[in-house]
Amino acid sequence: MSRLRRIAVKAVTSVVVIVAAASVTFFAQLAVPGDRANTLMNLQTGQDKKWSVDELAPLNERFGFDDPVIVQYLDYVTGLFHGDLGTSYTQKRPVTEVIGGQLLPSLTLTGAALLVAWALALGITLLTVKRGRFLTSLGTTWEALTASLPHYWVGVVLLVVFAVQLRVFPIIGGTSALGTVLPVLTLAIPLAGFLGQVTRDEFEQVLQQPFVTTARTRGMSDLGVRVQHVLRHAILPAITLSGWALGALVSGAVIAENIFGRPGIGQVLVTAVNTRDLPTVSGIVLVVAAIYVVANLLVDLAYAIVDPRLRAA
Amino acid sequence: MKARTAAVLAAAVLATASLSACGSDPAAGGGTPKAGGTIVYGHVQEPPCIFGGWIQQAYISRQVLDGLVTLAEDGTVKPWLATKWAVSPDGLKYTFTLKDGVKFTDGTPVDAEAVAWNFDYWENKGGNSTAKVSIDPYYKAAKAIDASTVEIEFNTPFPPFLTLATQGYFGIQSPTAFKSRTEKENCEKPIGSGGFTVKEWKHGEEVVLAKNPGYTSWPATAKHEGPAIVDEVRWKFVADGVSRYASLSTGESHVVYEVPTVNWKDAQSRYQTIRYITPGKPVSFYINTRTGPFTDAAVRKAFAYGADRKSAVEAGFHGVIPYEGNPAVSQATPGYNAEVAKAYAYDPAKANQLLDEAGWTQRNADKVRTKDGKPLTIKLVYGSGFIFTQEGATVLQVLQEQWKQIGFDIKLIPATQAELWGGKYTDPSTFDATPSYWTSPAPSILWIVWRPSTTEKPNGSNRSFYNNETLSAVIQQANSEPDATKANDLYGQAQKIIQDDAAGIGLYTQNSTYAVAQNLKNVWLEKSQGEPVFSDAYFTG
Repeated sequence: MSRLRRIAVKAVTSVVVIVAAASVTFFAQLAVPGDRANTLMNLQTGQDKKWSVDELAPLNERFGFDDPVIVQYLDYVTGLFHGDLGTSYTQKRPVTEVIGGQLLPSLTLTGAALLVAWALALGITLLTVKRGRFLTSLGTTWEALTASLPHYWVGVVLLVVFAVQLRVFPIIGGTSALGTVLPVLTLAIPLAGFLGQVTRDEFEQVLQQPFVTTARTRGMSDLGVRVQHVLRHAILPAITLSGWALGALVSGAVIAENIFGRPGIGQVLVTAVNTRDLPTVSGIVLVVAAIYVVANLLVDLAYAIVDPRLRAA
Repeated sequence: MKARTAAVLAAAVLATASLSACGSDPAAGGGTPKAGGTIVYGHVQEPPCIFGGWIQQAYISRQVLDGLVTLAEDGTVKPWLATKWAVSPDGLKYTFTLKDGVKFTDGTPVDAEAVAWNFDYWENKGGNSTAKVSIDPYYKAAKAIDASTVEIEFNTPFPPFLTLATQGYFGIQSPTAFKSRTEKENCEKPIGSGGFTVKEWKHGEEVVLAKNPGYTSWPATAKHEGPAIVDEVRWKFVADGVSRYASLSTGESHVVYEVPTVNWKDAQSRYQTIRYITPGKPVSFYINTRTGPFTDAAVRKAFAYGADRKSAVEAGFHGVIPYEGNPAVSQATPGYNAEVAKAYAYDPAKANQLLDEAGWTQRNADKVRTKDGKPLTIKLVYGSGFIFTQEGATVLQVLQEQWKQIGFDIKLIPATQAELWGGKYTDPSTFDATPSYWTSPAPSILWIVWRPSTTEKPNGSNRSFYNNETLSAVIQQANSEPDATKANDLYGQAQKIIQDDAAGIGLYTQNSTYAVAQNLKNVWLEKSQGEPVFSDAYFTG
């Protein structure tokens, strides 16, 4: 019973969090200076002027910009519960469609980036923690360096080396498998450095725990100790951070998308913010919020798997 | 800053790579033509709809929609959907004869009814506000005389009409398709009679254009007769300049738009390059003449004299983009007054003298000039990242330093697209100077920008808030003058009035640059706005 209740409470809070995120975005955008109808007219004409009330009247009427804010908000929230995110002011199609077409490339990019980052981080940690002075400092230097690299720099360097000089990967490969490699690495390399730093600290401490010595005295191999005993403890902080990282990657993917001419919601979000396309911005924030919520549920699950103590609770 | 360093680094690596690449001489036309193939074109911005009043939309709608007339290299108007036209003696009626047997790609005939419907849609139904403002307030009505004759009527003679109608905004769409389909379908796949149709729009990535095999209505300026030679054009959106240009070197694209200026020399040695200087209003400052220090013409002139705009532009853009001293129209515009452009060459002594005479004689602790205790502070608002690239912003920073020497305190205020388009900086109290451009193939652009703003008829485009009745009268006279030489003379006078009063201050021309792979021939730019034309292009063996 208590288990069902826990799940129900989680589900309800998740929905509340998502609707709250969409609502905050809705009001935040209304608070931004500048008139939506005016922006739309300028977008349609490529100008930056102030339009007269008469010129703006048809747009205000059509999108209900003149309605009281509370009416606009209630319309929006009612739509949300019907699965209707509204219609994009600029693209004239439903927001669900605008986002739907871009969501898969974004999830592929961020999901793959997270996996690759984990693989890189774990590999380097297992191979270099407490492995003699040279290897250890090589590992820490690599992590400190990559963790601080800006995405744009990583992307351009990868582009010049692997696409222009070596011609291994395409530059503007869109969503093809080959074309996805460089964008994934662009996001994964800095994240791997970051995850690696966190894991390494923990790994070093755990290696000094009495149970490690016990395991070793039982004649367990070094690799066995590292993988079966130490890693289990050491990856907990990195798992916690992964929930945050997945959400951050979704919204941060815009740089990789920009460099490699790749579709994705990051790019759509930037354009929508610039053009005051309120339904699209709110829709994307809602989706990103949902991804955060799901990611955090997954983190809870992963915790339970890795740490048996949590299963009893 | 980091992004810039990386871009420069990448540019250096790319340039080194080019040394090892074989360099053959660029040539237009020639080679053994090969039918078919797909052109990959790297564009920058993705518009919200294929068709509309923004130049980003004109670029792409030009591929799909034909116009009534087109502009030749020498600036004369040539036939397209209209084979000939006549102007009534009073200059009020234009009668166009349409080409026989042309059909939209949905099968609807391109007849007089269709053309008249399009004019009504632009002018009265909000269909295209740039087409509208181009011929406002002269336009009266369009009507079909018979199936192949359409008449466009004006309230007052307006000779620039023909030239203006060559812009992509005046692309003719099928009324049948427009009326029977959803707004989304019209936005994504407008139906015209052009050389290509929209096959698919992969949002965020590319628009795939397919050849229209039944194409019969190429313009008089076309480089071959018949349907497009290639099968498809993949119109890709690659926002990043480094990767856009690099994609040409790996053969992933055949044509790229907006070659980064640091790469221009390299591009010239490796590819066919096209540079197009946009006619119309150049990138020049609107100067707020209603409130603040610039209400005094002497201060405006001191501002113009006070910085070496020419050198800053040449250095900032690596010599690729020309300086433009004429704030009213660019050097590519008919009726351009070259004398006017020479005014206000860099002269700090003169600037100091003007400011002294205007009473800005004191200096505060920061060496900023003051008058009645108020500092000479100028709010300079610029569109960051969309009107001004990083290079453009650097030019402004260089100028800011020089203006500081003569006692101006320039506050550079970068504005986002959302702020600028949302109207945050439209009130006179929010800025003193703001640079912007407006492309147009005719000097009648002066009327759009400088028409006095009145309570009854506000003109939001007059961002200098400059109401000058003499100027207004001269431009109106020019707009209705049937003799081109006399009209240009009047337009020249208008430019002089604007420059003499420093109601605007020149900076540089708006340019479009293209690089084309060696094995792709006959890619050309139409004259009115520099839209690329792909229907004549072919690959060589």
